[in-house]
This record gives sequence, structure tokens and C-alpha cells, in this order.
Amino acid sequence: MANPLFRISLTINGQPVQADVPATLRLLDFLRYDLDLTGAKDVCGEGECGACTIFMDGKTVNSCLILAVEADGSELMTIEDLSHGKMLNEMQQAFVDYHSVQCGYCIPGMVLSGEQIIKDHGKPDRDTIREDLSGNICRCTGYQKIVDAIEFAADKR
Amino acid sequence: MDFRTISPQTTEELLEAIKQNQGKHFRFGAGYTDLIPELEMQMENGLIVINLAKLKDSNFTSIFLSEDGIRIGALTTMTDVLSNKHLQKFPVLIEAVESFASVQIRSVATVGGNLCTASPAGDVSCALVALGAVSEILIANGQIRTVPLTEFFTGVKTTVLKKNELLRSVLIPHQKSAERILSGFIKIGNRNSMEIALASLAYHITTDKNGIITSAGTAVGSVAETIRYTESACEFLLGKNMDQLSEEDKETFADNVLKYANPISDIRASAWYRHQVLWNISKSIL
Repeated sequence: MANPLFRISLTINGQPVQADVPATLRLLDFLRYDLDLTGAKDVCGEGECGACTIFMDGKTVNSCLILAVEADGSELMTIEDLSHGKMLNEMQQAFVDYHSVQCGYCIPGMVLSGEQIIKDHGKPDRDTIREDLSGNICRCTGYQKIVDAIEFAADKR
Repeated sequence: MDFRTISPQTTEELLEAIKQNQGKHFRFGAGYTDLIPELEMQMENGLIVINLAKLKDSNFTSIFLSEDGIRIGALTTMTDVLSNKHLQKFPVLIEAVESFASVQIRSVATVGGNLCTASPAGDVSCALVALGAVSEILIANGQIRTVPLTEFFTGVKTTVLKKNELLRSVLIPHQKSAERILSGFIKIGNRNSMEIALASLAYHITTDKNGIITSAGTAVGSVAETIRYTESACEFLLGKNMDQLSEEDKETFADNVLKYANPISDIRASAWYRHQVLWNISKSIL
């Protein structure tokens, strides 16, 4: 029996989107391959690394662990929506200024988790930042400069 | 991954989907944080997923105060638990959620999913067992049956749930008013976060104004086939004065907790280590 398609309607980065998707399609694949929003990365595929982090209804989630059909009716924000044209937002600029980026693969997720940390804690201490970044893995930088950048962006906001 | 999906929106549609598929292989999808990795790893032939994410039934999706206690819908997320004002009086539960996975996973993982996955290492499940919570199970004929969480788990990844049933909610019964509360969750792991417990202890102990222990609930995780309620350790504490517990009392309590531990050695820790660390943390809470 052919797998039927499901109609989903959602808002992505402020734009209404409608699509017919198979039940098995992951939200991450929908974003990357159907919509060409490649900021969220596909790395571990099991919710350990956080490279696929996006905002869904105002909260960070791993888009590799969500089916596109589950996201029906929700409001998504991806890393692509954070900058204004070529103007980086404060968090992104802090990552540049603090040299927090090496290979860069984890960074979209790190930046969005940084945004969530400010949302949850305002001006968090370093332990809180580290604790709440535990769902994002970086294999290059040793985290020091990432934590520096988030701390700076939080202080500035 | 290959499966078919049914997305019921009402409880009637849900019950119908369960009845229609009794002869088939189906599983429920709520937060999907375990289901997707499992299915990516190993395909299940002919699988039908009954998707609960679209279900609109507040018994499943909300946390509310009722006459008999605080009811937590099976589909409420860990983030919902953290931000709920009624649940702040149970530090054991809040600490268990805080130690659970990552911020991203807490946004979608559900309380019911943690219980029904029935991992011996389930953090939130362990806290709920310590609190004496009761599972409320919806049967396909529309009736509800209740099972105390102390009897809910039957083995590694197995529960009392039958094929025509699903978990609707858990009830934390109202507790006697307490002067003091000693409540928390200790999770031993190799690192602080994103960790599966090597051993864990959930405790919620209350006293009256004289320090006499009026209720005690403790449960252990990752040291037996299932999460276990450590009944004799709880009974040992009842009626004792919290401020006058001797070294010997504390050790007897820890000995009692250990009666429920039957740990295995595996890649994460040896049985010996789990025994030792459980005894130490048990003694340390008093």
C-alpha cells in the first residue's frame, strides 16, 4: 500500500508554508531538502549533538527528532531568520568577535541555543550557560569561546 | 524509516484507531525522541504509528489540580512540567526533569513517553514513583483503570499496558500538609548532563513541626530491572525524628534501600560500583 501524503500548514520564518509530506519525513529533511533551509545540520540524527536545533513554537528542539507531520500548525524559526539581511544579530556577531567558530558545523545550533538561554535566564552565569548548552556538541573549540560569546551577548541585551 | 501514520485528533478517533488495529503492529508516537532513533536503527515491518501529537484532549495534554491530587497528562512535555506552578512543591520531580537530557529534548519529550518507555534509568519516572503517583490508563472501550506506578513496570521496557490500552495521565495524590519537606533527585553519571544514570535516587520525605517524619517516598533507578519503590526504607523512616537520626539509623536506611537493588555490570558501570554509590547517596540524603 502506498504511503499516503499528509497536508501540513505551518509558519516558517514568518512565511506561511503548505506542503504534502509523507508520514516518515523528518522535519530536518523537510527544511533542508524541500525548502532549501540548510542552516540546520544533519549530524547524529538522534538528538545528541544539537546541530539540527531550530525554534518550534518559541522553544528550541532537535529537528532530526521531529516528523514534519508533527510540526503541522506550528511556528518555526531557523537560523536563517536571525540576521537582518547581511546584518548579523548580536548573538551571531558575538560568535564572530570571540572567534567561537572553527569548522562551523555546530554553530547554527549553538547560536540558537544561546538565544534560548537568554530567553530562559536573562543574564546567566557561566555554569548555567554550560548546563543549558549540554544538548549541543562542538568537537573543535572546547566550548570556552562559545560560552564567552553567549555570556557577552546576554550582558549586552 | 518506513511506517504508516494515523493522526487522531479526538479521543473517539484515538479509541477507534486502537480498536481497528488490534490485529496489527502499532506503536504510539508522542514526543518521538526515542521512537525516531529506534526506527532509524531497526525497521519494524508493517508498523503503524498512532501519532498522538495532534490529539486535542486536555486530559492528555495539560497539568491540572483536582480534588484528588495533581493530574499530569501523558502528553505534557518536560518543559511544561518545569514551568508548572503546582509542581514546584515537588523538588524531586523538578530536579529529575532538570537532569533529564537536554533543553531541546525536554521541549518535546513527554511524561507519558518516559513512563511507557519503561527504562530502568527513567529519571522522571523514578521521581513519580517516589511521589506515590498513580497511572490512569485509558482502555479502548473508553473506560479508565488505575495502577499505582509501583506496579506499573513489569521489566526492562515493559509495563502493565495491554495492546488495547494507553496511558492517559498520572495522578500525584494530595499529600498531608507538611512542616518541612526533604525532597530531591540524585543522579550519578559520568558527566553532568545528557547522561543516562548509572544509579539514581529519588526521595520525598515530609515532617511535622516537631521534625517527626510523617511520610516518606524513595525510589531507585538503574540498579534493577525496573525502577523500584524502596518500601521498607520508607517504612523505616516513618515516625522517626528527622533531626535526631543516628549514624546507625542512616546506615540502616541505606541498607534497606539496597535491598531493592540488583544491578548488572555493563559498559557504563560495574554492579559493585552501583551498589556502593547507591548506599553512599542513600545515606547522604538524611
